[in-house]
Amino acid sequence: MLAACGGGSGSGGGSGSGSGSGGSSADGGGTVSTAVAPSKTEASSFLAQATMGATEAEIDQLSQTNYGTWFNAQFAKPAQSHRSYVVNRGADRAANGGGPSQADFFESWWKQAVTGDDQLRQRATFALSEILVISFAEANLAVQYRGVSSYYDMLAENAFGNYRDLLEKVSLHPMMGIYLSHRGNQKEDPATGRVPDENYAREIMQLFSIGLYQLNLDGTPKTDGSGRPLETYTHDDIAGLAKVFTGWSYYAGPSAAARTDRRFFGNDRVDGWDWLPMQAYNKFHSTSEKRFLGVTIPASAASTAEADLKIALDTIFNHPNVGPYVSKNLIQRMVTSNPSPGYVARVAAVFNNNGSGVRGDMKAVFQAVLLDTEARTVTASSGAVGKLREPVLRYAHFLRAFKASSTQGAANFTGINNTDNPTNSLGQSPMSSPTVFNFFRIGYTPPNSTLATANKAAPEMQLVHEVTVAGYANFMRDRILYRTDRDIQPDYSAEVALAENPAALVDRLKLLLFAGQMPDGVRNQIIAAVSGRTIPAVTRNAAGEITNQTAIDNAKLDRVYIAVFLSMTAPDYLAQK
Amino acid sequence: MSHNISASRREFLRKATILTGSVGTAAAPFAMNMAALGSAAAQTGDYKALVCIFLYGGNDSLNMVLPTDAVSWNSYTGMRSQQPDPIALRPVGTAANNGAAAGTPDALGGVLPIVPNFTASAENNTRTFALHPAMTDAAALFTAGRLAIVANAGPLIEPLTKAEYQARSKRVAPKLFSHNDQQSTWQALAPEGAKIGWGGRLGDLVASQNARTAFTNISVSGNAVFLSGETAFQYQVGNGGAVQIGGLTGNLFNSTAAASNFSSIITADNQNLFAKEYAAVVKRSVDAQSTFQTAYNATATAVPAPSQVLQPSNRNNATNNLAEQLRVVARTIAARGALGTRRQVFFVSMGGFDTHDGQNRNHADLMARLSHALNYFDTQLLALGLRDSVTTFTASDFGRTGSSNGDGTDHGWGAHSFVMGGAVRGKEIYGRFPIIGMGTTDEVGSGSLLPQVSVDQIGGTLGRWFGASDANLDMIFPNLRNFTQRNLGFLG
Repeated sequence: MLAACGGGSGSGGGSGSGSGSGGSSADGGGTVSTAVAPSKTEASSFLAQATMGATEAEIDQLSQTNYGTWFNAQFAKPAQSHRSYVVNRGADRAANGGGPSQADFFESWWKQAVTGDDQLRQRATFALSEILVISFAEANLAVQYRGVSSYYDMLAENAFGNYRDLLEKVSLHPMMGIYLSHRGNQKEDPATGRVPDENYAREIMQLFSIGLYQLNLDGTPKTDGSGRPLETYTHDDIAGLAKVFTGWSYYAGPSAAARTDRRFFGNDRVDGWDWLPMQAYNKFHSTSEKRFLGVTIPASAASTAEADLKIALDTIFNHPNVGPYVSKNLIQRMVTSNPSPGYVARVAAVFNNNGSGVRGDMKAVFQAVLLDTEARTVTASSGAVGKLREPVLRYAHFLRAFKASSTQGAANFTGINNTDNPTNSLGQSPMSSPTVFNFFRIGYTPPNSTLATANKAAPEMQLVHEVTVAGYANFMRDRILYRTDRDIQPDYSAEVALAENPAALVDRLKLLLFAGQMPDGVRNQIIAAVSGRTIPAVTRNAAGEITNQTAIDNAKLDRVYIAVFLSMTAPDYLAQK
Repeated sequence: MSHNISASRREFLRKATILTGSVGTAAAPFAMNMAALGSAAAQTGDYKALVCIFLYGGNDSLNMVLPTDAVSWNSYTGMRSQQPDPIALRPVGTAANNGAAAGTPDALGGVLPIVPNFTASAENNTRTFALHPAMTDAAALFTAGRLAIVANAGPLIEPLTKAEYQARSKRVAPKLFSHNDQQSTWQALAPEGAKIGWGGRLGDLVASQNARTAFTNISVSGNAVFLSGETAFQYQVGNGGAVQIGGLTGNLFNSTAAASNFSSIITADNQNLFAKEYAAVVKRSVDAQSTFQTAYNATATAVPAPSQVLQPSNRNNATNNLAEQLRVVARTIAARGALGTRRQVFFVSMGGFDTHDGQNRNHADLMARLSHALNYFDTQLLALGLRDSVTTFTASDFGRTGSSNGDGTDHGWGAHSFVMGGAVRGKEIYGRFPIIGMGTTDEVGSGSLLPQVSVDQIGGTLGRWFGASDANLDMIFPNLRNFTQRNLGFLG
């Protein structure tokens, strides 16, 4: 995070006045004006938070316009379909005697993350996928390549819409129906003692909207007279809400008559069952009284799943916790693990009202997250500033910064596949969280650490241990190589051109990867390491032709490898400041 | 920080100070006693380990350990026969139906009878019991006297009756039924946010007995608060042991300067706390890896790989990841001489227990894997001559509801656990076995169980065997003093 006002420390020079259009809070924080044109280092810092990784082209472009222009351009870019890629790729493979696989989704995910021009949507969708979680790690979803792809598409299509719509589309997506098991959930049966499945009712409240404790606007918990946090709901609320999520199952077609009992139980599936929204099968929907979060839906033989869902989602969406809960989660995913209460309150206020009386406007929310002065300003590099970059975002940043592309051209983007293995890969793949609680918990802090002593959260540190730090370093040491047996190749031409000037080479990475936040000590060490690879002097034959060009080229490439590898593994890089 | 004998001695001295400072004079002798115990027992062969198998998601232990007397069985089948996919298992003696769909109760056949001695908790002797039909190995371990069942355990602050629970007239453990909070409570006796687990604290107490304290608390399953101590870190290994970071020495991309600068940069202290902690983990990884892996590599033959497990869900054999994790534990134990370890706490886990739906097939596979893995580990410990020295136990988020939602179960509270080892007084059920069914005095909604045994009591019993005194146990298990039975007796 960098100073928003003034020229910044990099080339380019900022011109913004920096004063907030969103007003300021008691702590002096506010919102940076959309009219600000950031310096190059400021742009790089912003892009680290707002995209899948800064590139030279994006830095140049942003620093030549302003934040507002950038946001408007990004908001206007439509989502690209992963489902289409997966369907086409599956057909490709089938034609070649293979079959579809999770790799189809991973190819599509990395292709969009690295090459998509809708970078804000890419990053926003990834953040949402870590809050509104479904996962290939669940056995029943492991083979639903098309369905999981469509779920991710749904998040992307609604990332800049309204959170109320997101809640509804998430609730009715058949993959969520499988993942949290409300698909095929039946009304209670007092005769046998059968009760509705409570899974989705619990998690939509705990994880997708309001959380466990009543929150103030600034995200701090409300407490009772004894200082104990007040809970948002009891088990009775869950049991009541569970009845709402009865009577839903796979899409059966436009006609209600097509919603047969067999289809409710998952048989006779029609094309699109895995990606079209679930439908109500009211025969299986509870008609008894439903109480939750202070609302009572009276018993009625005429109860429908659709009408009850609307009441339930309106109730949840309008709970005062949603603003601070969603805002703090998004801030943690994109900017900092420990936002100040003022920062959370400013974003939550925008969630509650975008200035035009609309609640849940995600365009306004993402803009508030990213243009808050706390995101755009750094007062000190010490302490718990920023966050740890998570593994897939490090690798995406690498691939973007060094212009990786597929040697097959635009069609496919192959060879990354699953990156789950912690011993020799990233220990993380998109859409593959071990549970609905994401890869890491929002309140995690590593034990016996200065972070713990300082009572600071560090969610991404939950993935960091003796095995994964080695796995990541070894993975990168291999992946930065230019290897002809790989489809996806970095393009180091700009870096090789600087190989004879180690300081210039390292300064390029300082801007691209570190957003200028590379301490001098680290910079000097990387320069020394680069310089340690000697470039042989040119030798010529009698005809004056260079005879050792290959050796020179190899040495230059080694210099680039050294600079990139030492940068990508430096703790100062891994902490996004 | 160097990890050698003198570091270990400093660790001890520091701990003695901490204990004195934190709990007054009563605790100081304890720390000294622990150390004295270690010194006196320094002869070859002295070794003890605790192994936690965590079943993530909330194990449906109502289908793992079943009361089979007529009254209980009627209640059980009544609760679990709801359509469309009834989850009631078949009674003892039912032949497996190979024509039935794989993983269904009919395909699994009847539950497997087990006959406790009833020396412990004699009040259970009017009832009969069985294990899940996929647990042939576990049933054999029970019969052989190396497996015990702790009935109906869960987070409790103090003993609690149903009336007291309903009236909230006594303290109730917070955030019941919530996955992350109850995982944390089983592992660290407090909801999410707890930073110190009871496995880690036991590790703190014994770390000074190991030549390298770093190898006291070992996880084969990622960061778990269970193994985080006041002073002890958890050391992580993968299924292949410790992983070496390449490029730290010699030439890195044809530059020796690159290797030395790489090594320096990734382990250097930092003002930013995220960078500082990352570098600290890297340094721990680098410092320990070579010693660990050299010792570990020498144990590949001594501890052969597990066989595959037959999966009821598809009648195919498959790799058993839990058994693979326990192989890493067995190999680490086998390397104890080279590692200089005499007291260790291990953590392994398996996921997938949140069986809200599709329970029949999914839970059958999980039960088969757990049973198969326990047998594998028991066999390896026999070969190592360490059956009596290693005690293994299961824990999970919570038990599940007794009633079915049609094809699965929801979050509950009390649950049955296994304890396994040569030191275990097996072939026993510890604790009064609950009355299964709706509306019983043991039931707190939808057939969930009100626990009668606390996590603190299980931990206290394990901790005592591990060498901790009463004073220590009261520090580690804050609620233990609220229960009259401090020792459940499954370890003597």
